[in-house]
Amino acid sequence: MAITSDEDLRSLELPSETPMGQPLDWAWLRGARSEWGMKPVPGPRGLTMMDIATGSYGEIEEEPQFRSMAPRGSDIDENTPDMGYILNHKSQVWADNVIELYEEAVARQWSSTRDIPWGDLRELPSDIEHAMCQLCTVLTEIEMIATDLPAKWMWRMNHHFLEAKMFLSTQIMDEARHSDVFRKRALANGGGLLVSRAGSESLLRTILEAKTYTQASALLHLLGEGFILDIFRQGELIAPTPVEKKIFRLSMQDEARHVAYGTMHIRQAIAGDPDVEAEIHEALDHGEKVFAEFGTQPDLSSALAVLLAGGVEHIEERGFPMQSTMATKIFTSYLARCERAGLNRIDRTSLPLDLLGIDRDQFTREGVRPTKERGEDGLRR
Amino acid sequence: MAYVAELRYYQELAALMNAHPEDYEVLGEVDLNLGLVMTGQAADLRVKLQFEGLGCTEVSALEEGGEHSCDCWLEGDLEAWGEMFDDILVNGMATGRKTVNSLTLLGDRIDIRANDPLGKDLFFRFNQTVQQFLDGAAELEQSVV
Repeated sequence: MAITSDEDLRSLELPSETPMGQPLDWAWLRGARSEWGMKPVPGPRGLTMMDIATGSYGEIEEEPQFRSMAPRGSDIDENTPDMGYILNHKSQVWADNVIELYEEAVARQWSSTRDIPWGDLRELPSDIEHAMCQLCTVLTEIEMIATDLPAKWMWRMNHHFLEAKMFLSTQIMDEARHSDVFRKRALANGGGLLVSRAGSESLLRTILEAKTYTQASALLHLLGEGFILDIFRQGELIAPTPVEKKIFRLSMQDEARHVAYGTMHIRQAIAGDPDVEAEIHEALDHGEKVFAEFGTQPDLSSALAVLLAGGVEHIEERGFPMQSTMATKIFTSYLARCERAGLNRIDRTSLPLDLLGIDRDQFTREGVRPTKERGEDGLRR
Repeated sequence: MAYVAELRYYQELAALMNAHPEDYEVLGEVDLNLGLVMTGQAADLRVKLQFEGLGCTEVSALEEGGEHSCDCWLEGDLEAWGEMFDDILVNGMATGRKTVNSLTLLGDRIDIRANDPLGKDLFFRFNQTVQQFLDGAAELEQSVV
Protein backbone atom coordinates (compact mmCIF):
# COMPACT_ATOMS: atom_id res chain seq x y z
CA MET A 1 0.00 0.00 0.00
CA ALA A 2 1.45 3.37 -0.99
CA ILE A 3 1.60 5.85 1.89
CA THR A 4 0.46 9.12 0.41
CA SER A 5 -0.66 11.28 3.30
CA ASP A 6 0.02 12.15 6.93
CA GLU A 7 -3.24 10.42 7.75
CA ASP A 8 -1.87 7.19 6.27
CA LEU A 9 1.19 7.61 8.49
CA ARG A 10 -0.86 8.12 11.60
CA SER A 11 -2.92 5.01 10.95
CA LEU A 12 0.14 2.81 10.44
CA GLU A 13 0.89 0.09 12.94
CA LEU A 14 4.62 0.43 13.62
CA PRO A 15 6.87 -1.73 15.79
CA SER A 16 7.85 -0.17 19.11
CA GLU A 17 11.22 -1.94 19.32
CA THR A 18 13.83 -3.65 17.17
CA PRO A 19 14.11 -7.44 17.00
CA MET A 20 17.00 -6.98 19.49
CA GLY A 21 14.67 -5.25 21.92
CA GLN A 22 15.92 -1.70 21.39
CA PRO A 23 13.14 0.89 21.66
CA LEU A 24 12.30 2.78 18.45
CA ASP A 25 11.45 6.46 18.11
CA TRP A 26 9.00 7.26 15.30
CA ALA A 27 8.59 10.95 16.13
CA TRP A 28 10.51 11.87 12.99
CA LEU A 29 7.89 10.05 10.92
CA ARG A 30 4.82 11.35 12.66
CA GLY A 31 4.36 13.99 15.23
CA ALA A 32 7.57 16.01 14.99
CA ARG A 33 7.03 19.74 15.39
CA SER A 34 7.99 20.92 11.93
CA GLU A 35 6.78 22.90 8.98
CA TRP A 36 6.37 19.81 6.85
CA GLY A 37 5.05 20.69 3.43
CA MET A 38 6.77 24.03 3.06
CA LYS A 39 8.42 24.03 -0.33
CA PRO A 40 10.83 26.88 -1.13
CA VAL A 41 10.95 27.76 -4.79
CA PRO A 42 14.36 27.92 -6.44
CA GLY A 43 15.16 31.20 -8.14
CA PRO A 44 17.00 31.69 -11.42
CA ARG A 45 20.33 31.08 -9.64
CA GLY A 46 19.21 27.84 -8.03
CA LEU A 47 18.10 27.25 -4.45
CA THR A 48 19.80 29.83 -2.25
CA MET A 49 19.97 30.19 1.51
CA MET A 50 17.70 33.22 1.08
CA ASP A 51 15.13 31.00 -0.65
CA ILE A 52 15.01 28.53 2.24
CA ALA A 53 14.96 31.16 4.98
CA THR A 54 11.19 30.91 5.13
CA GLY A 55 8.77 30.43 7.99
CA SER A 56 10.35 29.35 11.25
CA TYR A 57 13.45 28.22 9.36
CA GLY A 58 14.24 31.84 8.60
CA GLU A 59 13.41 33.28 12.01
CA ILE A 60 16.61 34.35 13.70
CA GLU A 61 15.84 34.72 17.38
CA GLU A 62 17.49 37.45 19.41
CA GLU A 63 18.38 34.96 22.13
CA PRO A 64 17.85 31.32 21.16
CA GLN A 65 16.51 28.91 23.74
CA PHE A 66 19.13 26.22 23.12
CA ARG A 67 22.91 26.29 23.03
CA SER A 68 23.40 23.22 20.90
CA MET A 69 24.20 22.34 17.32
CA ALA A 70 20.60 21.33 16.70
CA PRO A 71 19.49 22.79 13.37
CA ARG A 72 17.36 25.92 13.68
CA GLY A 73 13.76 25.00 12.90
CA SER A 74 14.08 21.34 13.93
CA ASP A 75 12.18 19.67 16.78
CA ILE A 76 14.80 19.94 19.51
CA ASP A 77 14.97 17.82 22.65
CA GLU A 78 14.42 19.90 25.76
CA ASN A 79 17.44 18.23 27.34
CA THR A 80 19.78 18.80 24.43
CA PRO A 81 23.30 19.40 25.83
CA ASP A 82 24.73 22.89 26.23
CA MET A 83 27.74 23.18 23.91
CA GLY A 84 29.31 25.95 25.93
CA TYR A 85 28.59 28.71 23.46
CA ILE A 86 29.27 32.19 24.79
CA LEU A 87 27.96 34.18 21.84
CA ASN A 88 24.28 33.54 22.29
CA HIS A 89 22.77 36.87 21.36
CA LYS A 90 22.03 37.70 17.75
CA SER A 91 23.70 41.09 17.88
CA GLN A 92 26.95 39.47 18.99
CA VAL A 93 27.52 37.75 15.65
CA TRP A 94 24.84 38.61 13.14
CA ALA A 95 24.77 41.05 10.25
CA ASP A 96 21.67 41.69 8.17
CA ASN A 97 23.59 41.06 4.95
CA VAL A 98 25.25 37.85 6.10
CA ILE A 99 23.08 35.34 4.23
CA GLU A 100 23.51 37.16 0.94
CA LEU A 101 27.24 37.50 1.60
CA TYR A 102 27.51 33.76 2.17
CA GLU A 103 25.82 32.99 -1.14
CA GLU A 104 27.97 35.59 -2.87
CA ALA A 105 31.12 34.09 -1.39
CA VAL A 106 30.18 30.60 -2.51
CA ALA A 107 29.40 31.86 -6.01
CA ARG A 108 32.61 33.85 -6.36
CA GLN A 109 35.26 31.42 -5.17
CA TRP A 110 38.40 31.16 -7.28
CA SER A 111 41.54 29.09 -7.37
CA SER A 112 45.05 30.44 -6.98
CA THR A 113 46.29 27.43 -8.87
CA ARG A 114 43.92 27.55 -11.82
CA ASP A 115 42.71 31.15 -12.24
CA ILE A 116 45.99 33.07 -12.09
CA PRO A 117 47.94 33.20 -15.37
CA TRP A 118 51.21 32.15 -13.77
CA GLY A 119 52.70 31.54 -17.19
CA ASP A 120 52.58 35.30 -17.87
CA LEU A 121 55.18 36.10 -15.23
CA ARG A 122 58.30 37.60 -16.74
CA GLU A 123 61.68 38.67 -15.48
CA LEU A 124 61.39 42.02 -13.74
CA PRO A 125 63.90 44.69 -12.78
CA SER A 126 65.49 43.59 -9.54
CA ASP A 127 64.09 46.47 -7.45
CA ILE A 128 60.54 45.76 -8.63
CA GLU A 129 60.85 42.02 -8.02
CA HIS A 130 62.23 42.65 -4.55
CA ALA A 131 59.45 45.13 -3.76
CA MET A 132 56.74 42.75 -4.96
CA CYS A 133 58.29 39.90 -2.98
CA GLN A 134 58.44 42.06 0.15
CA LEU A 135 54.80 43.09 -0.26
CA CYS A 136 53.83 39.46 -0.77
CA THR A 137 55.82 38.46 2.30
CA VAL A 138 53.81 40.89 4.42
CA LEU A 139 50.52 39.90 2.82
CA THR A 140 51.01 36.16 3.16
CA GLU A 141 51.88 36.77 6.82
CA ILE A 142 48.97 38.98 7.74
CA GLU A 143 46.21 37.40 5.69
CA MET A 144 46.11 34.33 7.89
CA ILE A 145 44.90 36.43 10.81
CA ALA A 146 41.56 36.58 9.06
CA THR A 147 41.37 32.79 9.20
CA ASP A 148 42.66 32.40 12.75
CA LEU A 149 40.44 35.08 14.23
CA PRO A 150 37.05 33.76 13.06
CA ALA A 151 38.21 30.23 13.84
CA LYS A 152 39.01 31.33 17.39
CA TRP A 153 35.45 32.54 17.90
CA MET A 154 33.29 30.37 15.68
CA TRP A 155 33.08 27.39 18.00
CA ARG A 156 31.81 29.79 20.66
CA MET A 157 28.96 31.04 18.45
CA ASN A 158 25.52 29.63 18.97
CA HIS A 159 24.67 27.34 16.09
CA HIS A 160 21.30 29.06 15.79
CA PHE A 161 23.25 31.75 13.90
CA LEU A 162 24.29 29.19 11.34
CA GLU A 163 24.56 31.53 8.38
CA ALA A 164 26.99 33.81 10.21
CA LYS A 165 29.20 30.79 10.90
CA MET A 166 28.87 29.66 7.29
CA PHE A 167 29.89 33.09 6.06
CA LEU A 168 32.89 33.14 8.38
CA SER A 169 33.82 29.73 7.00
CA THR A 170 33.97 31.27 3.53
CA GLN A 171 36.13 34.04 4.92
CA ILE A 172 38.48 31.45 6.31
CA MET A 173 38.70 29.82 2.89
CA ASP A 174 39.18 33.21 1.20
CA GLU A 175 42.01 34.15 3.49
CA ALA A 176 43.68 30.78 3.20
CA ARG A 177 43.64 31.37 -0.54
CA HIS A 178 45.14 34.84 -0.10
CA SER A 179 47.95 33.50 2.05
CA ASP A 180 48.47 30.82 -0.55
CA VAL A 181 48.45 33.12 -3.58
CA PHE A 182 50.84 35.71 -2.11
CA ARG A 183 53.22 32.98 -0.98
CA LYS A 184 53.11 31.54 -4.47
CA ARG A 185 53.79 34.92 -6.03
CA ALA A 186 56.74 35.58 -3.75
CA LEU A 187 58.32 32.33 -4.86
CA ALA A 188 57.13 32.03 -8.45
CA ASN A 189 59.38 34.51 -10.23
CA GLY A 190 62.78 33.63 -8.86
CA GLY A 191 62.53 35.97 -5.86
CA GLY A 192 61.41 34.68 -2.50
CA LEU A 193 60.07 35.54 0.89
CA LEU A 194 61.90 38.55 2.32
CA VAL A 195 61.69 40.23 5.74
CA SER A 196 59.10 39.74 8.47
CA ARG A 197 59.14 42.56 11.01
CA ALA A 198 57.85 42.76 14.54
CA GLY A 199 55.32 45.46 13.62
CA SER A 200 53.22 43.01 11.64
CA GLU A 201 53.19 40.50 14.45
CA SER A 202 52.19 43.17 16.99
CA LEU A 203 49.22 44.09 14.85
CA LEU A 204 48.17 40.48 14.48
CA ARG A 205 48.46 39.87 18.20
CA THR A 206 46.33 42.92 18.95
CA ILE A 207 43.56 41.55 16.73
CA LEU A 208 43.85 38.00 17.97
CA GLU A 209 43.80 39.02 21.64
CA ALA A 210 40.71 41.23 21.44
CA LYS A 211 38.53 40.57 24.48
CA THR A 212 35.24 40.14 22.64
CA TYR A 213 34.26 38.93 19.19
CA THR A 214 32.75 42.28 18.31
CA GLN A 215 35.94 44.11 19.30
CA ALA A 216 37.87 41.60 17.24
CA SER A 217 35.52 42.10 14.30
CA ALA A 218 35.96 45.88 14.47
CA LEU A 219 39.73 45.48 14.46
CA LEU A 220 39.76 42.84 11.77
CA HIS A 221 36.90 43.63 9.41
CA LEU A 222 36.64 47.38 9.68
CA LEU A 223 40.21 48.43 10.32
CA GLY A 224 42.46 45.66 9.08
CA GLU A 225 40.58 44.33 6.09
CA GLY A 226 39.46 47.80 5.08
CA PHE A 227 43.14 48.75 4.85
CA ILE A 228 44.04 45.61 2.93
CA LEU A 229 41.07 46.11 0.60
CA ASP A 230 42.53 49.45 -0.39
CA ILE A 231 45.97 47.92 -0.89
CA PHE A 232 44.37 45.38 -3.21
CA ARG A 233 42.54 48.19 -4.99
CA GLN A 234 45.95 49.66 -5.80
CA GLY A 235 46.73 46.44 -7.64
CA GLU A 236 46.56 47.88 -11.10
CA LEU A 237 48.87 50.72 -10.08
CA ILE A 238 51.47 48.52 -8.46
CA ALA A 239 51.27 45.28 -10.42
CA PRO A 240 54.09 44.88 -12.93
CA THR A 241 52.50 41.95 -14.80
CA PRO A 242 49.03 40.54 -15.53
CA VAL A 243 49.71 37.94 -12.84
CA GLU A 244 49.69 40.38 -9.94
CA LYS A 245 46.84 42.35 -11.47
CA LYS A 246 44.64 39.27 -11.49
CA ILE A 247 45.70 38.33 -7.97
CA PHE A 248 44.85 41.75 -6.59
CA ARG A 249 41.57 42.05 -8.51
CA LEU A 250 40.21 38.74 -7.31
CA SER A 251 41.47 39.21 -3.77
CA MET A 252 39.87 42.65 -3.66
CA GLN A 253 36.43 41.19 -4.25
CA ASP A 254 36.87 38.71 -1.41
CA GLU A 255 38.12 41.36 0.97
CA ALA A 256 35.20 43.67 0.20
CA ARG A 257 32.76 40.95 1.33
CA HIS A 258 34.52 40.67 4.67
CA VAL A 259 34.45 44.42 5.14
CA ALA A 260 30.74 44.48 4.26
CA TYR A 261 30.03 41.84 6.91
CA GLY A 262 32.06 43.68 9.53
CA THR A 263 30.42 47.02 8.83
CA MET A 264 26.94 45.61 9.25
CA HIS A 265 27.89 43.39 12.17
CA ILE A 266 29.24 46.32 14.15
CA ARG A 267 26.10 48.26 13.34
CA GLN A 268 23.95 45.37 14.58
CA ALA A 269 26.10 44.92 17.68
CA ILE A 270 25.69 48.56 18.68
CA ALA A 271 21.96 48.52 17.92
CA GLY A 272 21.56 45.40 20.06
CA ASP A 273 23.58 46.70 22.98
CA PRO A 274 24.55 50.39 22.97
CA ASP A 275 27.15 49.74 25.68
CA VAL A 276 29.14 47.82 23.11
CA GLU A 277 29.96 51.06 21.33
CA ALA A 278 32.35 52.12 24.09
CA GLU A 279 34.09 48.74 23.95
CA ILE A 280 34.56 49.04 20.22
CA HIS A 281 35.92 52.57 20.51
CA GLU A 282 38.36 51.37 23.13
CA ALA A 283 39.56 48.57 20.86
CA LEU A 284 39.90 50.90 17.89
CA ASP A 285 41.74 53.54 19.95
CA HIS A 286 44.45 50.98 20.52
CA GLY A 287 44.07 49.27 17.15
CA GLU A 288 44.50 52.46 15.14
CA LYS A 289 47.78 53.21 16.93
CA VAL A 290 49.15 49.76 16.26
CA PHE A 291 47.82 49.91 12.74
CA ALA A 292 49.45 53.26 12.03
CA GLU A 293 52.75 51.73 13.15
CA PHE A 294 52.15 48.74 10.88
CA GLY A 295 51.14 50.85 7.88
CA THR A 296 54.17 53.07 8.16
CA GLN A 297 56.74 50.41 8.97
CA PRO A 298 59.73 51.07 6.75
CA ASP A 299 59.76 47.77 4.89
CA LEU A 300 56.12 47.77 3.82
CA SER A 301 55.87 51.46 3.02
CA SER A 302 59.10 51.54 1.04
CA ALA A 303 58.16 48.44 -0.95
CA LEU A 304 54.76 49.91 -1.78
CA ALA A 305 56.27 53.24 -2.73
CA VAL A 306 58.75 51.54 -5.08
CA LEU A 307 55.90 49.65 -6.76
CA LEU A 308 53.78 52.79 -7.05
CA ALA A 309 56.75 54.65 -8.51
CA GLY A 310 57.64 51.90 -10.95
CA GLY A 311 61.17 51.70 -9.54
CA VAL A 312 63.46 53.08 -6.84
CA GLU A 313 64.64 55.93 -9.03
CA HIS A 314 61.19 57.54 -9.02
CA ILE A 315 60.32 56.93 -5.40
CA GLU A 316 60.58 60.53 -4.26
CA GLU A 317 58.96 62.28 -7.19
CA ARG A 318 56.20 59.71 -7.73
CA GLY A 319 56.16 56.90 -5.17
CA PHE A 320 55.82 58.82 -1.92
CA PRO A 321 53.34 61.42 -3.24
CA MET A 322 51.16 58.65 -4.65
CA GLN A 323 51.40 56.74 -1.42
CA SER A 324 50.29 59.84 0.43
CA THR A 325 47.27 60.16 -1.85
CA MET A 326 46.43 56.51 -1.26
CA ALA A 327 46.72 56.93 2.51
CA THR A 328 44.14 59.72 2.39
CA LYS A 329 41.79 57.43 0.51
CA ILE A 330 42.40 54.46 2.79
CA PHE A 331 41.64 56.33 5.99
CA THR A 332 38.77 58.25 4.41
CA SER A 333 37.15 54.94 3.49
CA TYR A 334 37.80 53.58 6.97
CA LEU A 335 36.26 56.56 8.73
CA ALA A 336 33.24 56.49 6.39
CA ARG A 337 32.71 52.78 7.10
CA CYS A 338 32.89 53.47 10.82
CA GLU A 339 30.16 56.08 10.39
CA ARG A 340 28.06 53.56 8.47
CA ALA A 341 28.60 51.07 11.26
CA GLY A 342 27.31 53.63 13.74
CA LEU A 343 30.70 54.64 15.12
CA ASN A 344 31.79 58.23 15.11
CA ARG A 345 35.55 57.85 14.91
CA ILE A 346 36.26 61.14 13.18
CA ASP A 347 35.91 63.07 16.43
CA ARG A 348 37.77 60.50 18.50
CA THR A 349 40.53 59.05 16.39
CA SER A 350 44.13 59.80 17.19
CA LEU A 351 45.13 59.13 13.61
CA PRO A 352 47.13 62.10 12.28
CA LEU A 353 44.30 63.46 10.16
CA ASP A 354 46.18 66.64 9.28
CA LEU A 355 49.09 64.63 7.94
CA LEU A 356 46.65 62.45 6.06
CA GLY A 357 45.03 65.51 4.53
CA ILE A 358 41.67 64.85 6.13
CA ASP A 359 39.65 67.75 7.48
CA ARG A 360 37.26 66.81 10.29
CA ASP A 361 34.95 69.66 9.36
CA GLN A 362 34.62 68.43 5.80
CA PHE A 363 33.75 64.88 6.77
CA THR A 364 30.62 63.36 5.29
CA ARG A 365 29.36 59.81 5.46
CA GLU A 366 30.54 59.24 1.92
CA GLY A 367 33.98 60.50 2.78
CA VAL A 368 36.05 63.58 3.28
CA ARG A 369 37.51 66.08 0.95
CA PRO A 370 41.30 66.15 1.07
CA THR A 371 42.67 69.43 2.34
CA LYS A 372 46.03 69.46 0.68
CA GLU A 373 46.51 70.76 -2.81
CA ARG A 374 47.07 68.34 -5.61
CA GLY A 375 49.52 68.58 -8.47
CA GLU A 376 48.55 68.29 -12.13
CA ASP A 377 48.93 64.53 -11.88
CA GLY A 378 46.28 64.43 -9.18
CA LEU A 379 48.77 63.58 -6.44
CA ARG A 380 48.97 65.39 -3.13
CA ARG A 381 52.17 67.30 -2.43
CA MET B 1 33.01 58.19 -29.62
CA ALA B 2 29.51 59.61 -29.80
CA TYR B 3 28.13 56.11 -29.64
CA VAL B 4 29.56 55.60 -26.16
CA ALA B 5 27.34 58.42 -24.96
CA GLU B 6 24.19 56.68 -26.12
CA LEU B 7 21.97 54.38 -24.11
CA ARG B 8 22.01 51.92 -26.98
CA TYR B 9 25.69 51.22 -26.40
CA TYR B 10 25.01 49.85 -22.94
CA GLN B 11 22.02 47.90 -24.16
CA GLU B 12 24.32 46.18 -26.61
CA LEU B 13 26.87 45.48 -23.89
CA ALA B 14 24.06 43.98 -21.81
CA ALA B 15 22.91 41.86 -24.73
CA LEU B 16 26.46 40.61 -25.11
CA MET B 17 26.68 39.68 -21.45
CA ASN B 18 23.31 37.98 -21.51
CA ALA B 19 24.29 35.99 -24.59
CA HIS B 20 27.39 34.60 -22.86
CA PRO B 21 26.63 33.92 -19.21
CA GLU B 22 29.29 31.20 -19.30
CA ASP B 23 31.94 33.93 -19.60
CA TYR B 24 30.80 35.33 -16.25
CA GLU B 25 30.35 32.05 -14.47
CA VAL B 26 33.88 31.95 -13.10
CA LEU B 27 33.37 35.39 -11.57
CA GLY B 28 30.13 34.33 -9.94
CA GLU B 29 26.70 35.85 -9.63
CA VAL B 30 26.07 39.52 -9.11
CA ASP B 31 23.38 41.59 -7.49
CA LEU B 32 24.20 45.20 -8.23
CA ASN B 33 22.37 48.29 -9.32
CA LEU B 34 25.05 50.46 -10.90
CA GLY B 35 24.71 53.95 -12.32
CA LEU B 36 26.93 55.45 -15.01
CA VAL B 37 27.05 59.23 -15.27
CA MET B 38 28.79 60.89 -18.19
CA THR B 39 29.04 64.62 -18.04
CA GLY B 40 30.39 67.31 -20.29
CA GLN B 41 28.14 67.07 -23.28
CA ALA B 42 25.01 68.99 -24.18
CA ALA B 43 22.87 66.57 -22.19
CA ASP B 44 24.62 64.37 -19.64
CA LEU B 45 24.05 60.65 -20.05
CA ARG B 46 22.82 58.78 -17.00
CA VAL B 47 22.39 55.03 -17.27
CA LYS B 48 21.17 52.47 -14.79
CA LEU B 49 22.59 48.96 -15.11
CA GLN B 50 20.86 46.26 -13.12
CA PHE B 51 23.05 43.18 -12.76
CA GLU B 52 21.40 40.02 -11.52
CA GLY B 53 22.85 36.54 -11.47
CA LEU B 54 25.06 36.18 -14.51
CA GLY B 55 23.32 38.83 -16.55
CA CYS B 56 22.42 42.46 -16.94
CA THR B 57 18.65 42.51 -16.65
CA GLU B 58 17.97 46.19 -17.14
CA VAL B 59 19.55 49.09 -18.96
CA SER B 60 17.60 52.29 -18.64
CA ALA B 61 18.10 56.02 -18.76
CA LEU B 62 18.07 57.95 -15.49
CA GLU B 63 16.83 61.44 -14.85
CA GLU B 64 19.24 63.98 -13.42
CA GLY B 65 19.88 62.90 -9.83
CA GLY B 66 18.42 59.46 -10.56
CA GLU B 67 21.82 57.91 -9.91
CA HIS B 68 21.14 58.37 -6.20
CA SER B 69 18.65 55.51 -6.45
CA CYS B 70 21.48 53.14 -7.44
CA ASP B 71 23.69 51.17 -5.05
CA CYS B 72 26.57 53.22 -6.40
CA TRP B 73 27.49 55.09 -9.54
CA LEU B 74 30.52 55.87 -11.66
CA GLU B 75 30.73 59.54 -12.56
CA GLY B 76 33.12 61.27 -14.89
CA ASP B 77 33.42 63.45 -17.94
CA LEU B 78 32.70 61.96 -21.32
CA GLU B 79 36.28 62.46 -22.40
CA ALA B 80 37.53 60.21 -19.60
CA TRP B 81 34.94 57.58 -20.44
CA GLY B 82 35.93 57.82 -24.08
CA GLU B 83 39.60 57.26 -23.19
CA MET B 84 38.64 54.24 -21.13
CA PHE B 85 36.68 52.70 -23.99
CA ASP B 86 39.48 53.57 -26.45
CA ASP B 87 41.86 51.60 -24.22
CA ILE B 88 39.49 48.66 -24.28
CA LEU B 89 39.20 48.79 -28.05
CA VAL B 90 42.97 48.95 -28.52
CA ASN B 91 43.90 46.27 -26.00
CA GLY B 92 40.86 44.03 -25.99
CA MET B 93 40.33 44.90 -22.32
CA ALA B 94 40.99 47.83 -20.02
CA THR B 95 44.60 48.01 -18.95
CA GLY B 96 46.70 49.71 -16.29
CA ARG B 97 45.18 52.97 -15.16
CA LYS B 98 42.21 52.68 -17.48
CA THR B 99 40.39 49.98 -15.55
CA VAL B 100 37.39 51.24 -13.61
CA ASN B 101 39.12 50.19 -10.41
CA SER B 102 42.22 52.28 -11.12
CA LEU B 103 40.26 55.21 -12.49
CA THR B 104 38.09 55.35 -9.40
CA LEU B 105 41.03 54.77 -7.08
CA LEU B 106 42.63 57.97 -8.29
CA GLY B 107 39.16 59.43 -8.70
CA ASP B 108 40.22 62.53 -10.54
CA ARG B 109 38.57 61.67 -13.87
CA ILE B 110 36.00 59.02 -13.07
CA ASP B 111 34.96 58.52 -9.48
CA ILE B 112 32.88 55.96 -7.62
CA ARG B 113 30.10 57.49 -5.57
CA ALA B 114 27.36 56.17 -3.36
CA ASN B 115 25.01 57.42 -0.72
CA ASP B 116 26.24 54.63 1.52
CA PRO B 117 29.77 53.25 2.00
CA LEU B 118 28.27 49.76 1.70
CA GLY B 119 26.98 50.70 -1.74
CA LYS B 120 30.49 51.70 -2.69
CA ASP B 121 31.80 48.40 -1.34
CA LEU B 122 29.40 46.59 -3.68
CA PHE B 123 31.40 48.05 -6.54
CA PHE B 124 34.53 46.45 -5.10
CA ARG B 125 32.74 43.16 -4.45
CA PHE B 126 31.55 42.88 -8.05
CA ASN B 127 34.32 44.87 -9.66
CA GLN B 128 35.56 42.21 -12.04
CA THR B 129 32.11 41.54 -13.39
CA VAL B 130 31.61 45.24 -14.06
CA GLN B 131 35.00 45.40 -15.72
CA GLN B 132 34.28 42.39 -17.89
CA PHE B 133 30.93 43.92 -18.84
CA LEU B 134 32.67 47.12 -20.00
CA ASP B 135 35.45 45.12 -21.68
CA GLY B 136 32.69 43.74 -23.87
CA ALA B 137 33.14 46.98 -25.81
CA ALA B 138 36.05 45.29 -27.55
CA GLU B 139 33.63 42.81 -29.04
CA LEU B 140 31.31 45.60 -30.13
CA GLU B 141 34.17 47.26 -31.89
CA GLN B 142 32.90 46.52 -35.37
CA SER B 143 29.52 47.99 -34.68
CA VAL B 144 31.01 50.98 -32.84
CA VAL B 145 33.09 51.85 -35.84
